[in-house]
Amino acid sequence: MATRSVSPGGALLRTSRMFALPSPIPKPPSDVTGKDFYSDTMTQAFPTHQVITTLSAPRKQGDWGLKRPLPLRSTTKSSKAMLRVNAIDSVEQITDYTSGTDHGMTLRKFQALGLPITLRQQSQVGQPFSATQLHIPTPSVFDDEFDFTAIDKKKQDESTDQRWKFSGPWLSGMPQGDFKKWLAKEVRPKRPAFRAFLRERIANEMNEAAKLAAVDKGEEPPAPVEASSITEDQVIAYLRKLRHNRPMLYDMVGKFLDLAPVKPSSAAEEGLAFLKTQGKVLEYRDVKSPWAESGPPVTHPSAGLSYLRTSMYMENHPIYGPQKHHPSVQARVIRPYRSQGNQAAKLGVAGFVVETPVGDSLLNSKTGGKWSYIDPTLVGGAKTWVQPQRATVSSHGKVLMSINDASTETTLVTQELLGEKECLGTPLVQPQLHQPREDAKELRKRYAAGPPAMSSAEDYGLDSKSL
Amino acid sequence: MSCRQWLSSAVRRLPSGAGQQQTRALSTSTPDAKGLQMLPRAGGGGGSGGGGTMIRRVVGIRGGNPNNNNNPTDALQSLLSLGDTRRSGRGPVTAEEQREIMEQQQQANNARLSVRDLRNSATTDNFLSYMPRRWKAGDVYSPRDLSPVEQKKWTKRQAPLKDIVDLLGFNPLDNYKNFSFISEFMTPFGRIKHSRETGLRPVNQRKVAKAIRRAIGMGLHPSVHKHPELMRLSNQGFPMYVPRTTSTAEKKL
Repeated sequence: MATRSVSPGGALLRTSRMFALPSPIPKPPSDVTGKDFYSDTMTQAFPTHQVITTLSAPRKQGDWGLKRPLPLRSTTKSSKAMLRVNAIDSVEQITDYTSGTDHGMTLRKFQALGLPITLRQQSQVGQPFSATQLHIPTPSVFDDEFDFTAIDKKKQDESTDQRWKFSGPWLSGMPQGDFKKWLAKEVRPKRPAFRAFLRERIANEMNEAAKLAAVDKGEEPPAPVEASSITEDQVIAYLRKLRHNRPMLYDMVGKFLDLAPVKPSSAAEEGLAFLKTQGKVLEYRDVKSPWAESGPPVTHPSAGLSYLRTSMYMENHPIYGPQKHHPSVQARVIRPYRSQGNQAAKLGVAGFVVETPVGDSLLNSKTGGKWSYIDPTLVGGAKTWVQPQRATVSSHGKVLMSINDASTETTLVTQELLGEKECLGTPLVQPQLHQPREDAKELRKRYAAGPPAMSSAEDYGLDSKSL
Repeated sequence: MSCRQWLSSAVRRLPSGAGQQQTRALSTSTPDAKGLQMLPRAGGGGGSGGGGTMIRRVVGIRGGNPNNNNNPTDALQSLLSLGDTRRSGRGPVTAEEQREIMEQQQQANNARLSVRDLRNSATTDNFLSYMPRRWKAGDVYSPRDLSPVEQKKWTKRQAPLKDIVDLLGFNPLDNYKNFSFISEFMTPFGRIKHSRETGLRPVNQRKVAKAIRRAIGMGLHPSVHKHPELMRLSNQGFPMYVPRTTSTAEKKL
């Protein structure tokens, strides 16, 4: 098949930003129902619009590959060229854009951590990771068992325990009002379809039973029963049987509506036998789906943040050799401990808010009150060195990270690599430590006589820093 | 004699003079801090340093000759002669007295630390009243989210984004006996809240208003104050929302 020739105008349009920009995805779902304190302009849990960038030279001309050049005053000041386009062309004939550095830089910082995204651990209330299970490895979201992106329609039923995408809702997370609305609008019209589905099930079961009986007797299996030949009375009798077997009914309804798996009640998990005597059948069931407890995620479970499969690799230092831990990272103390209301401290790692390390609380502070107060004399706010352990994406699309205390040696080595401290390696050069940053005025003065004779990639705008 | 030498050497080792100490005490703004600055300071020479300042404090209070302060030995002499009224004799400082001084200093040190904690706590509270956002794990923050403009938006209670009645799927008219639900939609003075505060759609707002009017009309709910059962709960320390005052006049920075 030969490729179709495209007219020059068509080729231009195809390669232009106008067609390359994907349409925005839905906003992150709000996790609190009656939330009274919020901001409509806060940074959302995940980006909904594509962030675009441009090279430094076109940026100076306002060229972002859009319909019209963007104003220089608001697009050239930031050190990072990242924009988010809300509308390429509005009614007022302007391009509606905002800064895209919030999510753009967060992504860059997160990828610098080198953390893989893992599946959420089960049976913890409100906590992404439990203290006792912190050292138990969790599977990566890219494990073949759980990484479903294209699902075969035929295998849909078999993969219920692994899939993360379902066409039906997750009933445990549905408020009562929404559930009623969903019943009335989505489920009720499907009554005849469910009866047809049941007929097929009955026919299947009857055929299987007949086949088994024939094999036992050593006879030829009888002709299979057609779904259409099942009478209404048979369906009603089957329905009555189903009504007393809730788990089986849920299985059928779940398959029919493609519902996300729900964690069974604790009674069912324990398999209480006495409930059978009360006319109800409650069997032991083990739901293997990692999404049964907190709901399936809104995106792919990795959220496209990291494509690493594991963090089980060693950092190698040029002088000290392989390191036990990954480099420590600096965390910002976003909010200190408050004894009033027993509020825990909140730290910020790579632009995400995280809980304090396991075992650290107001009464048992590992840092000795460092996170209890705001010190206004500290330039840039209080920071602390931590060791990111693992990250997972919640069903609301939030990135939940767990951190640990950084080891002193690792922190020292990291700081030495950053040129902040001196360890066993090369001694620091003092001017290198306290090199004042050149401001624009000084730079202009230096370049007033023309650029220096020696040229570099940076001068031509080829260096990554100048982007 | 050896004890005297030890104390005087400790006094000499102190970096700051007694005169500086006095001016510092006067310049501190808070009254509690002023009192505490008079007390021995921690750090410096540790126990011995504290003992040295102790002497100077006594001298300063007694209004002795300021020239005396420059000579630590004289200061010690004056302490030994005048400072302790219980002592009749003029002998050297005994071990017991020394321990007493140390204990006194330890107490003062503890008081100073707790006051420092209190002061830090007050500063933190004041700053946090400008940063009211309650962060949750997984929230994304950019520098803009930490800015005053953005933080100010979290101070004010806003109408819920979703219609609660629709969300929970119940009929407000059936819940006229539910005082906790009724009082949620009225002010403590008995007025029905506007829909811009309740965030209900018109149909549900009318139903809620009717339920409130019915409850009050049947005498099930007070119209001029909160429901007594709720007041009892709040008295017992159950969590109830109390609006925070964010008046800038109250800040103690």
